[in-house]
Amino acid sequence: MNIRIILLIILFHAAGFATTVFAQEPLNPNWDAEKIKGTRYIPYPIYEGVPFLNDSWLPGKIEFASGEIADSLYLRYSSFKDEILYYNKALTTQIVIDKASLNGFSFTEKDGINRVFRRLYFDGFMKGERYFEVLSDGETDLLAYRKVNLITVSPYKDQQNILKNLSYSQNYLYYFYSPEKGYSSVRMNLGALLSKFDKVSQKTIKKLLRKNRIKITDEFSFIYAWKLVEKEGFALIF
Amino acid sequence: MKKKIIISLFLIVVAMTGNTQEKSGFGFYTDRDVYVSGETLFAKIFTPEDNPARIVYLDLVNHYGVRVTGVSLEIKSNQANGFIQLPDSLGSGNYMARAYLKNTSGKLKILREVWISNRFDGLEKTSQLRRVTGLEKNQDKITEQIEIEYLETTYQTNSNIGAVIKIEETLLNEIDGNLLVSLAQTEPSFDAASFIWSSDQGKDGITENKGIILSGTVNDRKTLEPAAGITVYLTIPDSVPGFQYYQTRKDGRFYFLLEDYFGAVQAVVQCFGITPTQRLKITLDGLFADAGTLPEFSQQPIPEEFKHNISRNIDVLTFRKIFSQDKFKLEQVAIKQKEISPYYGNPTRTVDPQLFIDLPDFTEISRELLPGVKWRNYNNEPTLQVINNNMHNYFAENPLILIDGIPIRDLNVIKDMGTADIDRVEICQYERYYGDLRFPGVVAIYTTKTDYSLLPTSDQLIRMDLETIQLKAITSENVISESNIPDLRQLIYWNPLAEPKSTIFIKCNTSAIAGQFKLIVRGRLKNGTLIFAEKQFEVK
Repeated sequence: MNIRIILLIILFHAAGFATTVFAQEPLNPNWDAEKIKGTRYIPYPIYEGVPFLNDSWLPGKIEFASGEIADSLYLRYSSFKDEILYYNKALTTQIVIDKASLNGFSFTEKDGINRVFRRLYFDGFMKGERYFEVLSDGETDLLAYRKVNLITVSPYKDQQNILKNLSYSQNYLYYFYSPEKGYSSVRMNLGALLSKFDKVSQKTIKKLLRKNRIKITDEFSFIYAWKLVEKEGFALIF
Repeated sequence: MKKKIIISLFLIVVAMTGNTQEKSGFGFYTDRDVYVSGETLFAKIFTPEDNPARIVYLDLVNHYGVRVTGVSLEIKSNQANGFIQLPDSLGSGNYMARAYLKNTSGKLKILREVWISNRFDGLEKTSQLRRVTGLEKNQDKITEQIEIEYLETTYQTNSNIGAVIKIEETLLNEIDGNLLVSLAQTEPSFDAASFIWSSDQGKDGITENKGIILSGTVNDRKTLEPAAGITVYLTIPDSVPGFQYYQTRKDGRFYFLLEDYFGAVQAVVQCFGITPTQRLKITLDGLFADAGTLPEFSQQPIPEEFKHNISRNIDVLTFRKIFSQDKFKLEQVAIKQKEISPYYGNPTRTVDPQLFIDLPDFTEISRELLPGVKWRNYNNEPTLQVINNNMHNYFAENPLILIDGIPIRDLNVIKDMGTADIDRVEICQYERYYGDLRFPGVVAIYTTKTDYSLLPTSDQLIRMDLETIQLKAITSENVISESNIPDLRQLIYWNPLAEPKSTIFIKCNTSAIAGQFKLIVRGRLKNGTLIFAEKQFEVK
């Protein structure tokens, strides 16, 4: 009797499940999501150096200008052309995403570090929309423009034994940015950081960094120092 | 053993009730119960809290079960409001105004009985009233915690009304969303009600949590079977055309989301066969739910008072129509700019043929004005190729060809287009990607007429005027500027989004219409209970 009742219940639920689930085919995945717009990636000429920030495809997500987010994408940022590429599995094609259609993007490095980029209008030299990496997000952001330039170098022979005199060279630029005050460029050293504050604050900041045993030698230590200074509420001079 | 049987039965009952729709808090109200064709019906709907839909449908069905008209309204904070323009041609009789959500439309609708008299026939062809019977009324609870003060029992025509609605603090904390405050003429001989109409006959649609969903099926015309793997396009022509695509599965179904469209829009749904010989047929689903079965009606004689009031209402409306007193403004919606540049990309070059010498056809235009576009017309079989600037050679395939933003494949459509027909031509000389679609170059032709008359109509292309989310009406009080024109409003005050406050002031004027009027305050509590308070007065 018990088994009969249990069977009856299972049958009842199975019938309900069948009518709801198999009533029609499931919809295409992401059918109502915003579509990625772009153009085919044309490979860059091969020279010494790397034109990409990340040479391999990394998992990441993009944020459209509408605010909608598309994730589970494989991304690669071209520092040379300041453009973001994604790999379209269905078309097996590398596509350069329209810059105007995005607010920004982020991807996760192999070591688990998440790197966030934001599209902002740069009103300084070489005006235009640029992708900036957000090193520190706050009232004043610390941004990095991960630029790679093609520069003339002493002639060298590449792997195919062809003589070349051009090379991809990193030329990263750093800025403090506030939507109200704009950009203020900065170098990754203590002097440059201190120069962004008034004389009175400079002494206190020096003390603060010393107390916390921070020595600015590279990008990471600069970010750490800036976060600490920002937390203490020092006013930056643009 | 008995215990086990009881537990089993209890489980079955729980399982069954789990599938039924939660009905609490679903409320539907109209400004009046009796209308004349050509008038506007205003409505306020409280939608169930547990339903994530963004769209609620409001339509009108006659007693034969034929849907007459309908609108789709945007739900904000589990409430919506809108209006239906009653067509002039409606015959006199009892109609059902229905409110429902697409994902539960098969099981649950709220019906509201309304009477509509034809403006020209009146009640000449009507001898009896048909009233809904045997249905449970959607009961609202009268509350004493809302008091309507300073509203007198009689007013003179064209006089000022100043009323105060007082809401107790304990109730204020319980109110969910906005209140509906309405002041309109009543018809004592036709006391309409709302009913919950539950049936399992219709089919529930998809949850429209983002916006209106346009759906349909593609069938193979030869086999009549659903066609799989067909790419269906939806284009909404505009200065920057809207574009979507959907690849059908085995069931041939397709779906498009109309997220940020308001008011009337033109839309084109089309598909192309996988092979040139494959012929397809697109069938679009109705935007509204089927009329389905209707409740039972009983016949009642028409009271004399009702007849008299109807003929008065017809005269009133005729006068209002003559003096254009029925117009109201529509709220402008700040539409989110979704597309900054066309989906087919920024053009490599734009050519305006009007700036050059008149050319008779597209062969001449392409040859003279469109560098990088190769047009050939051998044996009346035209081909078109676009140069790929990046690779410095021509794409082997036909590019995406658009007329006023709408894709076409039949090049014969454009071959006779000369300077007089073309406003501009945009050409993209690179490989373009949109989602999983690839365009080997683009030639977008914008015509001077922009009437889409060049588009070949077939079973594979449906052109339609879509009524998307209704724009909100601004129902401010009518101001009759000329003193010699009588003010003939029957709806004196309508505010479907009144902020719940301890004191709400109502200021308005009576019109030149005499009769019974009612001030009603309606709302919904957080527990889903629909409440109201009302006060009647007479205008002499």
